[in-house]
Amino acid sequence: MDKKEEEFLKRIQATFLIEAEEHVRAFSSGLIELEKIHPDGKVDEITEILFREIHSLKGAARSVDHKDAESVCQPLESVFSALKNKKIKLSPDLLGLFYKTSDLLTKVLLNTSGTHSGDDRKIMRELITQLKESAEPNLHESTTAVEKIPDLQPAISEKLTSPESNSSSDILPPSRESVRIRISKLDPLLLQAEELLQTKIAISQRAIELEEIRTNIGSWIQETQKWRSQRSGASSERWNEWMEENDLHLNDLENRLTSLAGHTQKDQHNLSNMVDNHLDSMKQILMLPVSSLVEIFPLMVREIAREQNKEIDFKINGAELEIDKRILEELKDPLIHLIRNSIDHGIGKPQERILKNKPAGGKIRLDFSARENGQVEITLSDDGNGIDKAKLIKAALKKGLLSEEAAAILEPEECYNLIYQSGISTSSIITDISGHGLGLSIVREKVIKLNGKISVESDPGHGTTFRILLPMTLSTFRGIVVKVQEFAFILPTMNVERVMKIDREDIRTVENHETILVGDKVTSIVDLREVLGLPEKRNSVSDNMETENGISNQIRVVVLSAAELRIAFKVNDITDEQQVLVKPLGKLLKRVRNISGATILGSGKVVPVLNISDLMKTALRVHVKAKVSRDGDLSIRKTGKILVVEDSITSRTMLKNVLETSGYSVVTAFDGLDGFTKARDGEFDLILSDVDMPRVNGFELTTKIRADKKLKEMPVILLTALGSQADREHGIDVGADAYIIKSSFDQGNLLDIVKKLI
Amino acid sequence: MNKENLEKLKNRAIVMAEETVQKQETSSATEVITFILDVETYAIESAFVREVYQIKDFTTLPGVPSFIFCIINIRGQILPVIDLKKFFNLPEKGFGELNKVIILSNDLMEFGILADEVRGTETIEQDDLQPVPQTISSIGEEFLRGVTKKGLILLNAERMLSDKKLVVYDEVN
Repeated sequence: MDKKEEEFLKRIQATFLIEAEEHVRAFSSGLIELEKIHPDGKVDEITEILFREIHSLKGAARSVDHKDAESVCQPLESVFSALKNKKIKLSPDLLGLFYKTSDLLTKVLLNTSGTHSGDDRKIMRELITQLKESAEPNLHESTTAVEKIPDLQPAISEKLTSPESNSSSDILPPSRESVRIRISKLDPLLLQAEELLQTKIAISQRAIELEEIRTNIGSWIQETQKWRSQRSGASSERWNEWMEENDLHLNDLENRLTSLAGHTQKDQHNLSNMVDNHLDSMKQILMLPVSSLVEIFPLMVREIAREQNKEIDFKINGAELEIDKRILEELKDPLIHLIRNSIDHGIGKPQERILKNKPAGGKIRLDFSARENGQVEITLSDDGNGIDKAKLIKAALKKGLLSEEAAAILEPEECYNLIYQSGISTSSIITDISGHGLGLSIVREKVIKLNGKISVESDPGHGTTFRILLPMTLSTFRGIVVKVQEFAFILPTMNVERVMKIDREDIRTVENHETILVGDKVTSIVDLREVLGLPEKRNSVSDNMETENGISNQIRVVVLSAAELRIAFKVNDITDEQQVLVKPLGKLLKRVRNISGATILGSGKVVPVLNISDLMKTALRVHVKAKVSRDGDLSIRKTGKILVVEDSITSRTMLKNVLETSGYSVVTAFDGLDGFTKARDGEFDLILSDVDMPRVNGFELTTKIRADKKLKEMPVILLTALGSQADREHGIDVGADAYIIKSSFDQGNLLDIVKKLI
Repeated sequence: MNKENLEKLKNRAIVMAEETVQKQETSSATEVITFILDVETYAIESAFVREVYQIKDFTTLPGVPSFIFCIINIRGQILPVIDLKKFFNLPEKGFGELNKVIILSNDLMEFGILADEVRGTETIEQDDLQPVPQTISSIGEEFLRGVTKKGLILLNAERMLSDKKLVVYDEVN
């Protein structure tokens, strides 16, 4: 009994959390609405909605005895009640308080254990007091009125929390034909449906094998008959008897096999249809509205804009569109990055904008719209500064990604493609948010992984628009099976532009690398074996066979394309094209170069699936390497010498280790003064310094360096626990090249920035 | 104190002593699975062993560190298999009929280790365990918990499962 009760409580609490989350979400988006239309417009209507949300949340919290949530909702409800009754007026301060409360509610709800840190408790108490004060603007006059409100409430909340109305019918759309299911419960269902594909593939293989056996038996029967007709008469009675017996069995076997093969084929066909339909339905179930992804964005934009003292009007259109949940999940980071990028680099500060005859507030629009062939188009546009082509080309030249000659003939379109190159940023100071020039290359990689396309248009001075075209559902993966020596690999069909046979003579050397003509386009050709790093085998079996068949002169080629790149790969053989279920390689192999996963063929054989984006990159490198080795040895990487200035021994040692592991040589200094002395005496390529240090701090050190004749060009990265905007600006003022906040410190980020600056 | 009482107390003491000894045994003994690598016998705690699997077919991957021997298919799941010989500087014997994979797993990690031959299960007493002689030490030293008097080398399964160095994360830049 006790246990049952406990289980019931657990279940009801889980249900409460889902419901509560919805209320808080609705509350937050209501707040944003409220802020936008303030002070005129449908204030009353939205206030009413917000009041309802809080009221329902309070009732729900009370019914599961969630004291914390209830204690926050109570005064919040009073404030809204007062707003509704026009006893108080909406003010920016009040809005701020609401935002804080919404944030607190999320925290309180997430903390299921009911234990809060002292800080949280304090915040909660303070907010509750503030809310109470806001609800009673004039304590003496309105005491009675405010008192009355809670008095009225119990009657309503009792009603709301009673069993028959607890089904939260007021939140669900009017239709009763829907049920709520946790997404976490749906995920395994989709996985199971996908696993069925594996069985489908295996069964079709079995059907093929059965058919082969049947054919074998058929030809055996024919052979037997032929043989007997040739030596008729000569055989003895007993021999004939035995042979007839044999025939009988053989025919029976053939009949049964034929029937079995037929049935298997039919079953396989049915199963195949059912699996496909089932998988399709599962995918439909997992289509979620875009709003589930983007609802966090307005708050995020607000926060970043406030941090940078910018005004931004952010609007989202088409959030009701439904997209595969897995695509939405993958889209989250790229979209956040693009939005941050817009705020960071696109939209200028109000003063700057006014100087350029623009409204003080910037505009950012995020639009989702359905396109033909089950695709969705996402556009993110701002009315900011646009992309500075000259700066972009300068950055590309500096990184050696572009030659002077190439820059001169660069088309505008191609020019914008440079922004995706990792290591290129037009931002002069590197911050944590964006500007280290990695983000956009990752954004593009993600979009390509989702089988989508990204393009950018920019009108310098007027704004930038990113356009992403994506499928709404993840289609089942199809792949072609190729052989390289004795190894089989799978190449995603969607990246295979064409499969062809060429003669050795068709390969031409252009500027030291091999090319072929695909259609009428000159295309680089590389050996897949070489790209994958497989050792060369002399006189391998397949080569011999080819020579025997006299086709040694022909080469099989797969032309792959991804992201404006097209490369032809030599393979030994192309054996099949089929549906493929890609599986991860296991927790130990988080990421393997050139390989994105593996699949199990119908035969049970495990075959690696190749990662096209990696293959292309490696292929380009194979090319460059070949070129460089002929031009002389340019490939020796210059490793940098770095001075680490940091007073904490722990941080110092850690930084030293991180940098040394990446091949840099490191000298350390224990404060700014020591650092400056060492910097003057030694030859360094970069200085990495803490800000908060005794004697001479990081800002002072940077100032000294910039003022020094010998050191003024030295790249300086400031690393600090201080995260405020003012500090960052101070960092810019003194002339630091990058400013990394320790709380968001991760090795990858640091190393990328170091690499970029050296 | 009379003789009888003395006898009683003595017996009680013996029983108590025995009990503590037994308790010690259960707390310090480790159940292990023993297997052969080259000519050496290794042991691994069975608590971390999910199953022992006879390799039928395997797929090698290009571009992975040499200790990743292959990936295998276990009832539809793809698992990587590690070749410990690479850590202990043992010679490669070639892939024989008797090759088995011991699948290690905990909540966070799962992989197989290649064994030339699996012997069976055994119990190792804590007392019986001695530190690894200096001469054995190589890259794999940190994966060893000790050696028994009989020369059984006990591996540290927990350490292996949580060692970030074994995790492959290789990007093409």
